[in-house]
Amino acid sequence: MDYTLQWGQVVGFTGYLIGGAWLALQIAFLAFVGGVTIATVNATVLSYGRNRALRTAVRSYVAFFMNTPVLVQIFFLFFALPEMGVFLSSYQAVLLGLTLNVSGYLTETLRAGFQSVRRSEIEAAETLGMSVAQMTWHVILPHVIRVLYPPLTNQYILLTMTTSIASIFGLEELTGRAYNVSAETFRSFEVFSLSAVLYVVLTLVASSVLWLIGRHLFRVKARLV
Amino acid sequence: MHHLAIDRLTASYDGKEQVLVDVSLQVAKGEIVSLIGPSGSGKSSLLRSLVGLLVPKSGEVMLDGEKVDYTNRKSVKALRERLAIVFQQYNLFQNMDALRNVTVAPVKIRKRNAREVEEEATALLRKVGLGDKLHAYPDELSGGQQQRVAIARALALKPDILLLDEVTSALDPELVSEVLDAIRILAADGMTMLMVSHEMALVREISTRVVMMDRGRVIEEGTADRIFDNPRTERCQEFVSKILGH
Repeated sequence: MDYTLQWGQVVGFTGYLIGGAWLALQIAFLAFVGGVTIATVNATVLSYGRNRALRTAVRSYVAFFMNTPVLVQIFFLFFALPEMGVFLSSYQAVLLGLTLNVSGYLTETLRAGFQSVRRSEIEAAETLGMSVAQMTWHVILPHVIRVLYPPLTNQYILLTMTTSIASIFGLEELTGRAYNVSAETFRSFEVFSLSAVLYVVLTLVASSVLWLIGRHLFRVKARLV
Repeated sequence: MHHLAIDRLTASYDGKEQVLVDVSLQVAKGEIVSLIGPSGSGKSSLLRSLVGLLVPKSGEVMLDGEKVDYTNRKSVKALRERLAIVFQQYNLFQNMDALRNVTVAPVKIRKRNAREVEEEATALLRKVGLGDKLHAYPDELSGGQQQRVAIARALALKPDILLLDEVTSALDPELVSEVLDAIRILAADGMTMLMVSHEMALVREISTRVVMMDRGRVIEEGTADRIFDNPRTERCQEFVSKILGH
């Protein structure tokens, strides 16, 4: 192998790549917030809802988004919807696609969390005279957050990685920008190695911040990475 | 007038087999009434029914002459301000430390002064021997310690009657005595108690009355000495001889 590493050609693009990483973080954060919101409604319907039709609709939604590739879902939003007169920008299509996709997975996670609330704690709250609202605020929510914090953190990290597919739609997030630099410098090995390092830094920083929040706010015992 | 009067109480889970059949029982102020009987005889169901976790199908419960309406939320709320229950499995809130487990209901539900409640809760936890565990979480406490927190939590509500549901049966044998000591302290303080227990020595020592249940019915009641030394019904004789090993 006579390949000579030439880091000098790509190091100058580090700031540009970090800008891409920032966009990746933004997309992941917004998609996650949207996904958690939809999943909370879905999981509530599945756990406590009495309307059969509504439950079936939510189940179908979850099955659809969990059993089709996220890339196909975004292709559909970006290329198929315009046929019906709905035009989304690449940023909107990617954000919406990731949101809908992650909401399917998060629905299952949240549902498991709701089901893990111990009946015994609810009974104790009842006999102490707590109202449903007090019970939800003081007993159920803290428990659900504590139980779900580690899987939700993992899901968030996974989502950050998945944002790389946004580059297919021309978005200049980290992978997209790495591709641009590679095309300009022809130093693919160096560029994609640097972007990989940036992804590692990105996820390690995110994991550490989330771990600290979890540990101090919710007494989560999960280990860091 | 009795402090607590139960008249012909009947209850079932999901409308299936009746777990309580025409149960009648009275508890006077300051009395300690122990419910004994084999597993599945309805002892715990009776306590759960009294606090509204199992809604009775028929019969009446009177508290100081006032009828409890278990279908009315206000009535159940008023009842729960006067009756506190300690469960077999402690049922502590896992996200709260010992002190907060004890203070949460008086502060958040009864809207009492937080500082005052905290002082009382600290005193209660000291009373049950947990003065050094105020800020320990349930998963950092042994079963016996958790059960004593549960007792302190129930007492913090200043109940008129304390219901104890097999509070030692989930504990390792060496942890039982610390919970029994806490119950003895309450008995010495004159607390009215209705307790389900398999600790026959304790039942004999502190009970003013013992009630034997079987298949959801009260089959015999009397003083502890009378029930243990001279049971009248055949079923009670059989149970007592088995449990006392003679």
